[in-house]
Amino acid sequence: MNKATPIVLLVVVLIVAGGSFAWFLSVPGGGISYQQGSYNSTQVIVLYANAQGWNYNSSNPNPTLNEKLHTLLEFKVIEQDGLPHTLTIAAGPNETTNSNDWIVNVVIPTTVGSITWVNWSFANPGLYTYWCTVHPYTMVGKLYVNGTANSTSSSPSPSAVQAPSSGLLTSIIQHQNSGTYEMADSNEQVW
Amino acid sequence: MGFSFELMVFGSTIAALIAMVFLLYYFTMDYRRNLLGESASSLSKEESNLLLSKMRREISFSAFFMDDSKSIGVRYLITSIVLFFIGGLAGVGMRISLWFPNPSFLTPDQYNILLTAHGNIMLYGFAIGTILGFGYYLLPSANKIEKDTLGVVKSIMYWLFLIGAVFIIFSKSTATWYFYYPLVDQLTEAGGGTYSFATLIGVTLILLATTVSSVIFLKMVFLDRSKSIPLSKISMFSWSIVSAAVLVITSAPVSMIANGFLIYDLINPVFFQASNGAVLGYAIMFWFWGHPLVYIAILPAFGLIYEMLPKYAGVPIFSYRAGVFSLLLLMIFSAVVWGHHLFNSGLGTVWDLLFSTTSFLVVIPSAMSVFNWIATLWTAKHIRLTVPMLFVLNGIVDFIIGGIVGVYSADVGLNAFIHGTYAITSHFHWIFIGLTAGIGFGAIYILFPTLTGGRTYNVPLAKVHFYLNSVGTILMSGFWLVGGFAGMPRRVAGYFGIFQTYQDVAAIGGVILGIGFLIFLVNFAYSAYLPAKVDVTNPLEDEVQAI
Repeated sequence: MNKATPIVLLVVVLIVAGGSFAWFLSVPGGGISYQQGSYNSTQVIVLYANAQGWNYNSSNPNPTLNEKLHTLLEFKVIEQDGLPHTLTIAAGPNETTNSNDWIVNVVIPTTVGSITWVNWSFANPGLYTYWCTVHPYTMVGKLYVNGTANSTSSSPSPSAVQAPSSGLLTSIIQHQNSGTYEMADSNEQVW
Repeated sequence: MGFSFELMVFGSTIAALIAMVFLLYYFTMDYRRNLLGESASSLSKEESNLLLSKMRREISFSAFFMDDSKSIGVRYLITSIVLFFIGGLAGVGMRISLWFPNPSFLTPDQYNILLTAHGNIMLYGFAIGTILGFGYYLLPSANKIEKDTLGVVKSIMYWLFLIGAVFIIFSKSTATWYFYYPLVDQLTEAGGGTYSFATLIGVTLILLATTVSSVIFLKMVFLDRSKSIPLSKISMFSWSIVSAAVLVITSAPVSMIANGFLIYDLINPVFFQASNGAVLGYAIMFWFWGHPLVYIAILPAFGLIYEMLPKYAGVPIFSYRAGVFSLLLLMIFSAVVWGHHLFNSGLGTVWDLLFSTTSFLVVIPSAMSVFNWIATLWTAKHIRLTVPMLFVLNGIVDFIIGGIVGVYSADVGLNAFIHGTYAITSHFHWIFIGLTAGIGFGAIYILFPTLTGGRTYNVPLAKVHFYLNSVGTILMSGFWLVGGFAGMPRRVAGYFGIFQTYQDVAAIGGVILGIGFLIFLVNFAYSAYLPAKVDVTNPLEDEVQAI
């Protein structure tokens, strides 16, 4: 046996195993690299996962959620139609549903009536996109996070982000007691 | 979806491998001359193949350019060791990620990719690879074969095996190792599972290589065997390879057909439509192969135990006939128990009871083998606890524990509770780490002087490898077992906080296992780097005293 053979074999094993491991981990979205921001209050947002209720087009967008920074957003997703859905939020502000870089991507169980809680606290202000990867053309909306980030953050300054016109925001009422956002009439337009 | 970087890598890898196959022929004669001298050019290829297959051959990269049985065996051994470390790193990665209940290191997508890669690479790459490797390496000497033909076929089948393994690694599938229908044909743009169908192609290539190699094994044992060895005296290892080969030939084609259907369904879904209930049909076709596969993975380990145990116990095996009977009975029973993977899938009570009964019957041949080994140890005057013997004893103990867990998993009622828990993972990790991997590495230790051209392994390092392997298995599989009975679900990237103790101990066990195998690697490189000290004979191939 050549003296070099075992050394070459050792190096090959280490390189191939390490390379394969890196290859396995290199999926879009990467590892868990996004840090949540600190928060001092919580906000419950109820979303109905029903493909019929979400009809996005340029003239009639789904309502934009207005939230404050330093708030833990607790998405309460209620399955209504038994179809597969996800709640996905793009990692950076001003990204669209074409983004593969996600901070939240939760698959909603298809059992009708099941409730899925998804919690996230944004670290940076901005206009984020949230959508369902199964129905990216209809079940899509914007999430405006308002506030001032820490001075060390390199995020776009709040003034650079245009606050969206709150066309349909009037249809969202805020419960006085629980601080819950919910659609005014879930039979008429569920989302 | 864009056909992107991944497909480019596939294409270039395959092109490179095809080019290597063509190059193979040109390199063949030069390496032959190195080993056979000038006579290589005067002999026909089959004659020189036969001479090469009778030599004591060591691990070397020139084996990739020759097509005699032993070179093919060396190729498979090298490949399966590399694949073992790829799959093992994936396993250790999963363990580390499960330290905390909430995923802290891997996203669910990454976890699923590692899970699928670990299962596919370990089963199709490592388990089958070592079996083919030891089969090609040991059968020529065990049966003193009189001709060594079909070299080109063996070589092509090896390259198909390697391409299949490369496909599995590059596919980043998330469909787990049984790739059920709706999942495997999904083409999602992002995340894992984008190219699950590539796993199907890879697995089908590996199955093709395994099936053809099994036919060659049967030919080697029954047609090419030396006339001096009657059928009643062939080695136990040959019997175990025969039973595994028959299982492969009878069941692997079913899975290949199912995989072909799946690949067609990708283009035009007609076969396994959810609407007509045929998804269960795919599951049945898969497990018709999937259960024999796990026996194919352990039967050669049985054969190696039957070969290695008498060498260190100093007495012949207690009952040769009972051993052969047990192996052949295992072969028959393992072909009719596949339904116990589908207890919760709605086969019906009658079928469930049938498969439950046959699963219990498997205890009989398994226990025959275990008692045969115990009787051999019982009759021994002096048992020498060398490193291979330690692996053998550990393998027997692990097989008993894992086997008993498997037996009560075959109870239909209990199975409904523990099927989706870590109890099942524990069951097959006891057996796969103890038998398939443990006996495989034990056999590498016993063959060490031959495989490295006269070197001996460093005994303290090898013992450290053994003890880490043993303790790691007990910690990992043991705590999985307890957690599984507490309801800890498997195949998930996170878990409920009440299971953290079990998961943390299992993670420690997994890391210990990983360190143990790294020590094996270091020991191999270090010991083989030192100058040769001993003769190249070994007790599995020659009539020599085992060291």
